[in-house]
Amino acid sequence: MSTIFHIAMKDLLLLWRDKAGLFWVLGFPLLMALFFGSIFSSSGGTGSQSAMKVAVIDNDQSDQSHEFVTQLGEIDALSVSSMSADSAKQMVRIGKLIAFLQINNGFGESFGFGGEEGSELLELGIDPSRTAEGGFLKGMLSQAFFQSMQSSFSNLSQSVNLQERLSAIKKDTTLTPADRDRIRAVLTNLSGLFGALQQDTSGIDSGADSASTENAMSGPKFKMVDISLQRSGPRSSWEITFPSSILWALIGVCASFAISIVIERTKGTFLRLRLAPITRTQILAGKGLACFLASVLAAVLLLAFAAVVFHMRITNPLGLIAAVIAASFCFVGLMMLISVMGRTEQAVAGAGWGVLLVMAMLGGGMVPLFVMPSWMQTMSNVSPVKWGIVALEGAIWREFTFGQMMTPILILVAVGIVSFAIGARVISRQEG
Amino acid sequence: MVCGEDLDSYSSMITADNLCKKYGSLVAVDGISFAIQKGEMFGLLGPNGAGKTTTITMIVGALRPDSGTITIDGEIDPTRNSVRRKIGTAPQALAIYDDLTAEENLFFFGRLYNLSGKLLRDKVDWALSFAGLTLRKKDKVKTFSGGMQRRLNLVSGLLHDPPVILMDEPTVGIDPQSRNQIFDSIEMLKKEGRTIIYTTHYMEEAQRLCDRVAIIDQGTILALDTVDALIRQYGGQPTVEVEFTSTPDKHVKFPGDLTGNKLRAKTDKPLEVLAQISATGIEFQHVGIERADLEAVFLQLTGKKLRD
Repeated sequence: MSTIFHIAMKDLLLLWRDKAGLFWVLGFPLLMALFFGSIFSSSGGTGSQSAMKVAVIDNDQSDQSHEFVTQLGEIDALSVSSMSADSAKQMVRIGKLIAFLQINNGFGESFGFGGEEGSELLELGIDPSRTAEGGFLKGMLSQAFFQSMQSSFSNLSQSVNLQERLSAIKKDTTLTPADRDRIRAVLTNLSGLFGALQQDTSGIDSGADSASTENAMSGPKFKMVDISLQRSGPRSSWEITFPSSILWALIGVCASFAISIVIERTKGTFLRLRLAPITRTQILAGKGLACFLASVLAAVLLLAFAAVVFHMRITNPLGLIAAVIAASFCFVGLMMLISVMGRTEQAVAGAGWGVLLVMAMLGGGMVPLFVMPSWMQTMSNVSPVKWGIVALEGAIWREFTFGQMMTPILILVAVGIVSFAIGARVISRQEG
Repeated sequence: MVCGEDLDSYSSMITADNLCKKYGSLVAVDGISFAIQKGEMFGLLGPNGAGKTTTITMIVGALRPDSGTITIDGEIDPTRNSVRRKIGTAPQALAIYDDLTAEENLFFFGRLYNLSGKLLRDKVDWALSFAGLTLRKKDKVKTFSGGMQRRLNLVSGLLHDPPVILMDEPTVGIDPQSRNQIFDSIEMLKKEGRTIIYTTHYMEEAQRLCDRVAIIDQGTILALDTVDALIRQYGGQPTVEVEFTSTPDKHVKFPGDLTGNKLRAKTDKPLEVLAQISATGIEFQHVGIERADLEAVFLQLTGKKLRD
């Protein structure tokens, strides 16, 4: 064990002295977190490349609510599905859906306009990591709302024909003047309302934001629902960007150590290690330990920075420890696998960064998953970067349950074991 | 069995018996055998690609031979830790860490052999002194000259005081002064009674340092003996060269060929030839005896020069 420790310490010392390598391990991830954190924290909205997945819980089950749901489904930018409230909240919490919309009882009776402050008829819960899209989403919900209202009222107007009714009421001698005036007033107001609806909704397109929609007419009021279980304050964009930055740090460590292995092999120091009275397993374990410690250290430093500077809170410390360990372990395995992707430093560096960048790209390390096309989001499941981010976010703010944490952690550990075994096997074969 | 080597693995420190190694269709080592006695310095002399490094890598257990056996101090498996503790290696590549200091390199390699505490400190001090690097011990290796790096590469394999040392071209790419320093170090190790295998493609190194030399080419040993014996057997006779002050009378009888005022005579007894020439009474302004060397031996054995 002491031999493994000595090898690990030597490698950490070499990493510490490699300033360029250190930049990729700590500096670059930190810059990524700060850069994107700043953007997300000040951004009012973002474009979307794929349909936003939204769950609808229709507790009202009225004609109006059905029409509202139908109109939501006709918006291309939304992918609407119906499910129970608990499922919907859970799906949003784990990042499978961007939001859920709950239509409460009374929506149909009041044509959606009812509800006092605090008892709104529409409840909206948005994934905290997607708050940048919240305004965009509200705009689309308002659009669907108005279209459903228009549809309901236009049906009504066709059957009743308000103008004809107004003429008929003028001629109706059976009504008292007072009743005639009251009815005329109501029908005149309704006619005016339909005109306003047609005018306002025709001005809403898929890119309209909630502010313009709500200004056009006193539209639906959403009760915003916090999807976290025990949140006591607002989340920040840093809680989104720092998990990604930690994955970038792990990628940097992985690449650095993979390259260091091939340098040792080409320079001859690996041969000298093999000629010492130690086993090949000890040598590789020492390398792996160094990579693991560097990964954990980088993650801890980034988390500490986020906690101290940006007051990032960690809702599940034990889960976070497990996530950091699992992700680090995974990248130790990948390090071993990447180290055998070439026989020269240049080959391994090229292949390694190529593979890791694709993993980062697919896994949401570069571009957030939610702006990717759906097929790419499906593909992201093959990227350990995604599972690393999911595990870290699950522990930092998604408040994953134990079972939910286990899925990404087991995937990360499995990838780590398989990758390490393949890499070690290839090294053993190549070294004779 | 090659060149009449009597392989006695019981009395020999190192024995290689019929080693073979192929890489695909390329035969790197083809039936090499030799036995090295304790305290002997044994040279493997051959051009680049002859199979020297492959042979030495198999001896240290870093490469598994396709066939054949290796015995080191009576033990047949060089990968065993007990055998590895007996072997010190100076690989051809500079197997040291550029970003560590000389001292840090030595401490690290010493710890791999379970050295620690004062013993490790003493060994590191000895190694630094032996390599002439004491004053530069705190400097990173990447700031060293090629010769200093070579010396550190050599002593990095000596910290555990091994009785067997394998040096794979330890003087490649360094200046003559550093080369001489390394020669001095090797001769000191030899005096201490260590058994040394030394591979080189510099015949003068083998000639200066080695008790016996195996001339190796294309994976096989062509000849194996002491340097003198090899030269005697394959190098041809010494040549006496005399330059007279004037062209001698053509009636005077000389051994060898006379061209103008220059005489060249191949003979096993150069002093007798010189006495004969002197007896003619003809004055000469220059005289010399050109002795065959390992280059001539290699040329004789392979039909090509060592560095072709």
